[in-house]
Amino acid sequence: VRKMAERPEDLNLPNAVITRIIKEALPDGVNVSKEARSAISRAASVFVLYATSCANNFAMKSKRKTLSASDVLAAMEEMEFDRFITPLKDALEAYKREQKGKKEASEQKKKDKKPESEEHDKSKEDENEEDPEGVKMVEDDQKEIENEEEDVDN
Amino acid sequence: MEELESGVAVAEPGQSLQLEAEAEAERPGSAPLPGLHHKLLRLPLSRIKGLMKADPDVSLASQEAVFAIGKATELFVEVIAKDAYTFALQGKRKTIQRKDVDNAVDATDEFAFLEGTLD
Repeated sequence: VRKMAERPEDLNLPNAVITRIIKEALPDGVNVSKEARSAISRAASVFVLYATSCANNFAMKSKRKTLSASDVLAAMEEMEFDRFITPLKDALEAYKREQKGKKEASEQKKKDKKPESEEHDKSKEDENEEDPEGVKMVEDDQKEIENEEEDVDN
Repeated sequence: MEELESGVAVAEPGQSLQLEAEAEAERPGSAPLPGLHHKLLRLPLSRIKGLMKADPDVSLASQEAVFAIGKATELFVEVIAKDAYTFALQGKRKTIQRKDVDNAVDATDEFAFLEGTLD
């Protein structure tokens, strides 16, 4: 279990990534000063905090302790970033497909190792679906957050 | 900002995601195909999650929620960069400066939450 990082730079987003996103949004030949890039990066961190807080309000309203993707979508509407909703939904669909593919690949590996079949009866999971996007495997997702950290931490 | 692209086609966010989705469907979990430089998410999930956990009211978040916040943040960066660029253009500059970002924040209602946070 990773401890919560306390270094100030961990509340910032990686400069190289922010710079790349900015550059790809702009025409070729446009430059961004270091101060401007730093301000945009800070704005992005503030956006994460604000969006998280807003999404969390929706989760709490529904008496859920786990923030879901649909809470985030609701937050975008609340924050008047309606233009983000469609691209976000598209990205979520692609992400879910990708995660499903990874999961099936690793389950296949397990099956190959173990002859006896394990019952993963996900369809009988709790149907208290506050999340209309169909995120059923909340607990697996939470475990996966821990696993994912090794993969995605640059 | 399409009018500034002078003939260079810019994929709408939805379009580039279609390409990603198709690529991912063919090779789930693998590296993006060469030439296809639109990753699903550039920002590291771990960093996003770390920021989210700074909120004492947040106990748990699904992986999809973390991804969604990350993706929304990338979209936000694109928007604020483009808005700042319009101010640089007004100043006849090709370099975006800090004041262009400030102007972009002041000019947009949805950016009101940023007031006073960038100093």
